Order: sequence, then C-alpha cells, then structure tokens
Amino acid sequence: MKSQSEEKKYMPELSEKEVEELRKAITDTSQRVVAENIEKMKKADQNRPEAMNYFDEIADFAQREKEIRAAKKEGKKVIGYMCLHAPTELILAADAIPVRVNSGWYDASKLGDRIVPVEVCPMVRSTIGAKMIALSPYLELSDALISVLTCDAMTKLGEILSDYTPVWAMTVPRVKDSAQSIRLWNEEIKAIKAQIEALTGNTIKGKQLKSAIERTQKATKAFRRLQDLRKGPPVIMGRDAMLVNQTYMWDDIDRWTEKTEALCDELEKRVSQKNWVCPTDTPRVMITGTPMIWPDNWKVPTLVEEANPQGILVADELCSSERLLYDPVGVDEWSISDMLNAIGERYLMASTCPCFTSEDGNEDRINWLLTKIKDWNIQGVIYYVVRGCMLYAMEYTRVKKVLDRNNIPVYYLDTEYTREDVGQMKTRVEAFLEMLSARIDI
Amino acid sequence: MSEIPKKEDVEYWRWQEYHRVFSEKQWKNKDIITAGVDVGSVGSKAAIMLDGEIYSWGVMRTGSNSPDSAKKALSWAMEGTGLRVDDLKYIVGTGYGRVNVPMANKAITEIACHAKGANYIWGPSVRTVLDVGGQDIKAIHCDETGRVTSFLMNDKCAAGTGRGMEVFADLLKIPIEQIGEFSLKVEEEPPPVSCTCVAFAKTEAMGLLRKGWSKEKVLAAYTHAMAIRMGNLIKRVGLEKEFVITGGQSKNVGIVSRIEKQLDVKCLPMPDWRENGLDPMIAGAIGAALFAKALYEKEQKS
Repeated sequence: MKSQSEEKKYMPELSEKEVEELRKAITDTSQRVVAENIEKMKKADQNRPEAMNYFDEIADFAQREKEIRAAKKEGKKVIGYMCLHAPTELILAADAIPVRVNSGWYDASKLGDRIVPVEVCPMVRSTIGAKMIALSPYLELSDALISVLTCDAMTKLGEILSDYTPVWAMTVPRVKDSAQSIRLWNEEIKAIKAQIEALTGNTIKGKQLKSAIERTQKATKAFRRLQDLRKGPPVIMGRDAMLVNQTYMWDDIDRWTEKTEALCDELEKRVSQKNWVCPTDTPRVMITGTPMIWPDNWKVPTLVEEANPQGILVADELCSSERLLYDPVGVDEWSISDMLNAIGERYLMASTCPCFTSEDGNEDRINWLLTKIKDWNIQGVIYYVVRGCMLYAMEYTRVKKVLDRNNIPVYYLDTEYTREDVGQMKTRVEAFLEMLSARIDI
Repeated sequence: MSEIPKKEDVEYWRWQEYHRVFSEKQWKNKDIITAGVDVGSVGSKAAIMLDGEIYSWGVMRTGSNSPDSAKKALSWAMEGTGLRVDDLKYIVGTGYGRVNVPMANKAITEIACHAKGANYIWGPSVRTVLDVGGQDIKAIHCDETGRVTSFLMNDKCAAGTGRGMEVFADLLKIPIEQIGEFSLKVEEEPPPVSCTCVAFAKTEAMGLLRKGWSKEKVLAAYTHAMAIRMGNLIKRVGLEKEFVITGGQSKNVGIVSRIEKQLDVKCLPMPDWRENGLDPMIAGAIGAALFAKALYEKEQKS
C-alpha cells in the first residue's frame, strides 16, 4: 500500500499502455510538425545561412536528450526551470545542466484539461499534459525544478509537477524596485543556491561562479550581436533568429555561443554584400506577449512571414526569445556576495514580465517596447495572447494606448494551443500586414 | 407496402440568390474591365467593374467547394453580358476562400476590401464599417480613401453572425428575409438571451418557446443579444462617424436598428439594392474589383 506522502496531489494514475499510446501519437505529430516548420523555414530563405544547419539539428530534442542522458550517467544533475528568473549561473556553477521545460506541444494541452479547467493558460496545461505522458525529455531528465512564482498558473504548475519531481519555489516580489523586495529576492537567490548545492553535492565557490557568469556573459554577447544585426535591412528571417534564441533554452551554453557567433559572422558578410532575405520595404514586425514555445507553437511567426503580403519579424519581446539573454549579469567586484547580488539584480530588475507592477505600473516593459520600436525600426506590433494568459491580456490596454500615441499600429492576436484557427488568424494577420504595407506605400 | 409521401421541406434559411447587370452601360468601349470575387463562408459574391464603375454582380450560396463557388459566382455576375473571363484584365479574390479563387491574379483580405467597397458605395465620409459575415464579424476603421487604419475581428465561433440567423430562421420557421421585421414586432424589447453561441442559443430559444414566448419575442431576444455583441466590437475599435454596415446582415433591420440604438448613432442609409442601388452584401467584391483596377494599372506602369 502506498503511504500518504507518495499519493499524488493532482495527477491521475494512468496505465502504462495509455501513456505509451498517447506519447507515441503526440510524438509522431510533433516530429512531423518540426520537420514541416523547418522545411518552411528553409523554403522562406532560398539562400539560408549555412550556420542554421546546426540549429535545425538541435531543434530536434532527441540529439540533446542523448547528450544530457550521457552526462547524467557520469553523475551530472539536471535542473529544469519554467520562468526566466531562475538563476542559471548558479546551476552552471554547480556543474549541473540548466534546461527550460515549458511545453509547446498543442495536443498535450488537451491532456492537461483532465487536471485543470480549459480556462487555464494552455502553455501550463500543455506542460501538465507533457508530464502526464512523459513527453518532454527535458522535463523527464530534470532532477529538480525551479518554479518561480510569477503568474498564478505558473505557481500552481510547480505544485502539480511536484507530484513527480522535487520543485523548489522562488517567491518573486511583484514590486521589484523597493528595498524590501530586493532583500527578499536576494534571500531567495541564496536559498536556491543552497538547494542546488545540496542536490549536486558541489559547493559553489567564487571561482566556479565567476566562470559561470563569464560563460553566460559570452552567450549574451553573441545573442546581442545577433539581435543587433536585425536592426538594419533584413539579413535573417525572423523565424530563423527566433529558433536560434529558443535553442538556448536547452542547448549546451558554450556550444550555443560558438554557433551563434559563427552565424553572426556569416550574417555580417551578407550585410556587406547587401544580401537581404526579403525586399527592404517588407513591413517590419515585432511580436510581444505570451511566450511561444517550440516545436508546435510556431504558427504566428510562420503566418507573418508567409503571409500575402509578407511581413518580416525583426524583433520580439517574448520571454521565450529575446528576453532570454539580452541582459548580462553586471559584476563590479568578483567577490561571492557581490556576484550573488549581481545575479539577483539581473533576474529581477531586468525582467519586463507583466507579473510586475510598481508606482508606475510595469513601466519597464512600456519603455523597453518603445526602445525596441525605435532601434529596430518597427512598423507594426503583434500583441500575441493565448486565452487564459491573464497578465499579458490585461496589460494590452495600456500598451495599446502608448503605441497609439506613438502612431505605431498594434494588433491583438488571441488564440489557443490549436491548429484549427490558423485560417481565421491568417485573415487577421494578412489584413494587418496589408494595412502596414499601405502605410509604407505613402 | 405503402409509403407516406415525403413532405417537401421549406428551407426557411435559404436567402435569394440573384444577379444584376446595369445593361444601359457598355463594356465593349471600356479600357479596364476588372472583377472582384468574394468567397465567404456562407455567400459567394462577384462584381464586375468597368474603369472602376460597377457594371454587374452576382450573389449566391457558397458550396462545399471554394474554387467551384468562385467560378460560379463570377459566371453568374457575367451572365447575359457577353463578357468572358478573358475579357477581364485583372481579378482579385477575397473572403475566407480567397486563396481558392483559381482565376484570381491576387488575393486580398476581406477586411481591406470591405473598407474599400464601403467607401465606393457610401462615399469618402465613411470611417467605421461593421461587416457581418456568415461566420465572423469585423469592425473596421478607414480613412477617406477607404484605406484600413485599424480593425477587430470576433473569435472563430459563429455567434452573432449570418449563420446564426439562418439557424434561427429554420428553428422558428420564418423566411430569412423577413426575420428582421419579425424581430421588431414586439411591444416591448425582451432581455437578450444570455448566450449568443449558436448551439446554446438554440436550446435556450426552445426553452423560451416552451415557456410560452411568441416567436417574435424569442427572435427579438436573440437579435438583441447579437446586436449587443456587435455593438461591443464597435465600441472596442472605437466608433467614428460615418458608420455603415456591410455583409448579409446589413439587410436585417432587426439587427441594424438595435445596433443604432445601442450605439446611439444612425447608419448611413442603405442603398435601395432591390431597385437600382448597390447591395451592401457585395461591398467586399466591389473593393476587390477596385483593387484589381489599381493593381492592373500599377502593373502596366512598371
């Protein structure tokens, strides 16, 4: 008989057979979707950078899964996380592997419906569904999960996943710029460090932490170089850049940095040859809103770049893409306490997640959006929200007011984790792009 | 064995398919003959224009096959004119089935086309267009040239659309063309039904009928709920005068008068489409044919 503590709080007991069947069905669909998405991306740019081949390969989870499995055999630990506020430097410093575990599988969200109502954010429902049938290699390989309590759905997701894996919750203060918030958050950082040390058996000393920070700083440099290249005439398709950004969530950090630098070298050559991926008068679009997770949730960038008239994604403000790595950890003194404070600051202050508010509301996000619009020369913004994503949905009203004042067209595109509404979304996206093209024609 | 003869079912939802030609106009001496084909989820419309002036149009039900519906609508618009597809310099496809218009040179969304078409039908003062289609509603803002400046679209369900009205026509056994007037035959406006979802509203309506409500009252309650939904979409996009309604539901006086009341605004008067006026249902096809002319001219220049 099972003891009380082993009883699952949320998850049902599924038969081995059912799990097996469901996993096979969803994996088959997913592999087809990945292949299709990459095929479309290849077609979109006839002269696609050679360096993209690497990212196509790593986009297939199987390869990285193999590597992580091998590393685990040698005793390495894997620490998964759901929100960007998880301090990956500490994971790296303890010689463990950080990996983000949010789910992009559409079909898995329908399984999540068995546990939580359909009104809940589909990304969270999908992550629950993925766990039910052991679909995500990264979620399965995680020895522990860091659950940062950003939005309501994320808070409960951590609780649900704790039916299987140890989950370490981190309380993130909703008002980020007060002295007591920073104190609390720094305590959370220290506590998570202790958890990581206990799991891995490795003490995080100054030397390891410095090296980990330097590694992410290098990654940030490569990452920024890529985004900066997108400020000019379009030299890379938005989907390609987005895929590069996303793969950071599961790839080996040093290899990712190296491959991204190689891609940037190639892109720089193209800039000097004025070799653009589409006509330079193609409307320049930015996406902001709910995260979009590979492999299934690729419909919006695909719709924008395959629309008639075509648009080009030159920037986004998504925590699944350009918010991942833009801000480096800024260290003054390489003492362990200073480094920890710098990490704390980077994961709190730099975030523009709508879970935050302050005297001026989430002004950091508004300012960052306006900066991006100016620096990346954005002509239209798509505000993407999945139903159930309360915070992004609510903050739209303010963002729209600001963008209206700045004469930047914005379109609110709401959807679900489904392929069924692609036709209807296509009409909306195309009408928005027609509107932008007409503005550009003037 | 004897069989009970099947009774011919009256199809209350079926609206009149028709076509019109301004036969006093001549196409033979015209330079640019263009067409717009608007394949919607419920109706397919085609319009022929001579140098940017309306010449003829056809309106029919969309079948299960979009390319086929597009072809039929276009032939319907050309019927009796002597025109052949080869005479058309440029064709633009629009509507839900726009990519499935085989003879089209280009596809443009119905959002851009309805704004352009409304500008043609009512003139440059139009700023807000509500297009009530078969399966969705769109609220569109445009400038004095008919160019879209912003828009909103309802989500994918058929609530508050032409298709919903067809379901109700059938349920209440009232011919679709009379449904608007019928819904106004109530002494006092009943509260709206609580849910505009076609499936649920049907159940709710049956409950009301059983409770002893008259058909008119049930219809009024449903139309009221649809009008609120459409009015809210307009409020979200922002109402700016002049305001017009296009699409099949523009002919439903029950909807139009309730929206006017809710928004406290008068729509620009509907052209007398039964006589010599233009049909607001073909606004999308007209817009498409106008874009076709502009695109043809652009092509000739380059």
